Amino acid sequence: MELVNWFNELLAGNLIFTPQTLGYYWNGVVTTTQLVFLSLLVGLVMAVPLSILRGSKHRWIKLPIYAYTYVFRGTPLLIQLYIIYYGVVFVDGIQQTFLWPLLREAFYPALIAFTLNTAAYTTEIFHGAIKATARGEIEAARAYGMSDRMMMRRIILPSAFRRALPAYGNEVIFMLHASAIASVVTLMDITGAARFVYARYYAPFEAFLFAAAIYLCLTFAILYFFRFLERRLLAHLRPQN
Amino acid sequence: MADTPIPLEVRNIKKRFGDTEVLKGLSLQARKGDVITLIGASGSGKSTFLRCMNLLEQPDEGDLIVHGEEVLFKQTRHGREPADWKQVVRMRAKLSMVFQSFNLWAHMTLLENVIEAPIHVLGKPRKEAIEQGRALLERVGLTERADAYPAQMSGGQQQRGAIARALAMGPEVMLFDEPTSALDPELVGDVLRVMHGLADEGRTMVVVTHEMGFARDVSSQVIYLHQGLVEEAGPPQDVLVNPTSPRLKQFLAPKY
Repeated sequence: MELVNWFNELLAGNLIFTPQTLGYYWNGVVTTTQLVFLSLLVGLVMAVPLSILRGSKHRWIKLPIYAYTYVFRGTPLLIQLYIIYYGVVFVDGIQQTFLWPLLREAFYPALIAFTLNTAAYTTEIFHGAIKATARGEIEAARAYGMSDRMMMRRIILPSAFRRALPAYGNEVIFMLHASAIASVVTLMDITGAARFVYARYYAPFEAFLFAAAIYLCLTFAILYFFRFLERRLLAHLRPQN
Repeated sequence: MADTPIPLEVRNIKKRFGDTEVLKGLSLQARKGDVITLIGASGSGKSTFLRCMNLLEQPDEGDLIVHGEEVLFKQTRHGREPADWKQVVRMRAKLSMVFQSFNLWAHMTLLENVIEAPIHVLGKPRKEAIEQGRALLERVGLTERADAYPAQMSGGQQQRGAIARALAMGPEVMLFDEPTSALDPELVGDVLRVMHGLADEGRTMVVVTHEMGFARDVSSQVIYLHQGLVEEAGPPQDVLVNPTSPRLKQFLAPKY
């Protein structure tokens, strides 16, 4: 109760940041977080097997995956979002399926676009890390009687994921910032809320600086999380003093 | 004694890389307790020969018999391959290798390196493996470094750790591929002392080395390779002290 009073006093006389607009921003934070978190999660789950198969000896496994990552890394995310969001309506029969109520919303097409995009980048990050596994360590695994599968599970992946961690942290931050474009397909994420506030009060600095501050805070949280992970998982790369 | 199978026997191994034939028919028999050292100039094929023994290189011809079990091969489009990879895995677990560049797994601590293959390849219970691992680390003088990562250790420590990892497999034969060549001179002694101790306790070892002193003191047999063939072989007193072939004489002569 006291907190609410304090809060109301703080906002008294402020025409832009009313409890109502703050509510929009809050909903924006929730939407952005959901969108980014879900797309990163699904993207990560897709990227692990894809990055292993990307290094396959068989051309017909390796090439389609390469084509996928090449296309999604080679075109702007905004275009991918447009194609999925506007294009999905024209898929024959889609409006009769159970998917339509979901795809009609802006959220799910955005989620699909972001997931496919981050999965492509993450696949390449992991693939690079897997390729960079020291030859000697692989040889040692062979010489000690490990099968290919066990070697992948016990040696290559644990070492590659650790190596990929800093690059993957960047990808996470990149996705957070890229999610701002979800607002162009009417999604009320943080940027969407800011655009709304800007349009209503014609106050660009207040509206967008506030949004920027929120993104900064989220970025800081992500950075901090990855620094924590790196400290724990990359101990073997730090010289002892 | 006569009934126990010979730990490692290779017959008439041939191997070519492209147009060059690097091994032109090499044989070797390591009986229990033998320490066989392979010497020779670089390019003589000694490392390749050693790597053929646990199939890190696939020999184009020749037989490989580990503890009485002959490894089966088949011809494929890409050349000769082991017929049964499960057999290879089983046989590799009996031959543990120590590499020139240590090749410890960088993301694991030293103790984790030592217990990894015993737990996951041999199926040893974790507790037992840890106990054994600690005992082995003590034996190579690395008790305090059990929780260090390879990057935090000196080359000599890494190599002694790699020897502990090899011992943890309880191998029939230990293969050493120039174990001291990547070390600073002052660290070589520690590693050689550990290897000397292993030879004294009757381990069967095949060692590729440039350390002639070690070869002379420890080997039961020295094999001098030249361009993929055995040029001279025998006990160290003969091969190293009274060499007959002019090439070997030159190889052993002081370099400056």
